[in-house]
Amino acid sequence: MKHVSFLRASVALVFAGFALASPLSAQDDLMDFFDEPTGPQVVTSAFKAGRIINVQSPETSGKGEMNFIIAHRFGRISDGAYALWGLDNAQMRMGLDYGLTDRLQVGVARSSFGKTLEVNAKWRFLEQKSGGGSPVSLTGYSVLMRDGMRFPEDGIGRLGIHRISYVHQVVVARKFSPEFSLALIPSLVHRNLVDQPARANDVGTLGAGFRYKLNNRLSVNGEYHYLLPRPIPDDPELRNSLSLGLDIETGGHVFQLHITNSRGMFERSFLSETAGRWQDGDLYFGFNINRVFQVGSRR
Amino acid sequence: MRHLFFLALLVAGFDLTGGAQQFATREAHISFLSETPVEDIKAESQEASAILDVATGGLAFQVPILSFHFPKALMEEHFNENYMESAKFPKASFRGTVMGWDPDGDAQQEVVAKGKLDMHGVSVAREVTGTMTRTTSGWMIGATFSVPCTDHNIDIPKVVSENIAEVIDVTLTATLLPR
Repeated sequence: MKHVSFLRASVALVFAGFALASPLSAQDDLMDFFDEPTGPQVVTSAFKAGRIINVQSPETSGKGEMNFIIAHRFGRISDGAYALWGLDNAQMRMGLDYGLTDRLQVGVARSSFGKTLEVNAKWRFLEQKSGGGSPVSLTGYSVLMRDGMRFPEDGIGRLGIHRISYVHQVVVARKFSPEFSLALIPSLVHRNLVDQPARANDVGTLGAGFRYKLNNRLSVNGEYHYLLPRPIPDDPELRNSLSLGLDIETGGHVFQLHITNSRGMFERSFLSETAGRWQDGDLYFGFNINRVFQVGSRR
Repeated sequence: MRHLFFLALLVAGFDLTGGAQQFATREAHISFLSETPVEDIKAESQEASAILDVATGGLAFQVPILSFHFPKALMEEHFNENYMESAKFPKASFRGTVMGWDPDGDAQQEVVAKGKLDMHGVSVAREVTGTMTRTTSGWMIGATFSVPCTDHNIDIPKVVSENIAEVIDVTLTATLLPR
């Protein structure tokens, strides 16, 4: 009995063997081979340029890429026809950003505003990934700024170190759809010396910025930075920075046109020293032009 | 003894069906070239998948658009964001049938694959000429063909029309092993 049942089982198994390896299974749709899930994919290009308007976006120069940024902020629109609504009078910033890797960038810049020189570093240390990865990208940015104005002849003994200020920030960004990206940007400003006793050396801000793509070459951008309460009563003339703009891409260039109530184009200035009031027309028209050159190898 | 006999038959049962019917790879190589007097733009992917069914002649390729890498990061961004729109159309594929080939032939064969090329959301009927070579363990497939950008609704704006060719040359090589 035992042997008979073993025989039956064996025969059944042999037929099962034929059935499993039968050519019929080879007729299955080949496309099922492609259905196997792939790993999480990096979500790229949340923003077009390295800056949303004034503030850093999560984007960095690619490895070996030199990004030349020339930016202007004209005078106040409220200055009227005599100053051609501000166009007679421009502040300028020239910057170079270089990608050491696809995620780590170093830069230098010079602004005519305060004759300020800056050196900066930016590192996107976490990528947003679809399919089970991180829902946001995290980018750290630090900049050291050196004010270059002559010290006033007021008898106060200032040192070179007093020209220095720093800003550190983290950009938490998410590309929600191919069109819409949002970033939250907490920042800390430290000034070695402030120009009024009532001003705090350390100022915190909480910022937000967005990009909405109208088409593949045009997007609307905006950003806002809220000054966090400071420990000592501060200058009542300080304002939160609010900017709105357009990004226009043409091949190797990105043109960014905007209006903002911040005149300076480096972080200390627009985060902690913005004085313009939107409701009074204290607005500055300006642009950033980004031009990319591949100077080093990508591999 | 009887146990062994049936066990041998059992093994033979699997073996009798012959070799594998499907050959596949997930490491096929696809490159393309845009040639203009101003500049040549070349990109490569090592992450294409391919599968061949010997019994039916069915052949399919698929490649993630994001897996194409360029010598310049900006080219890669423009390729994904402006031209291929890889967030909307993440993959390009070809599915078709190999015509007039000898699955038992040893020498390199010139073959024609007839099927549909699906790219940037537009599917186009194509006949692609290529070569197939039997190796000891599988098949080697190679093909070179042209893709006109307009066929797949890939819009090249006037400002960059001197830098990007209207017809892109695609080269594909794959070594397929039993699935």
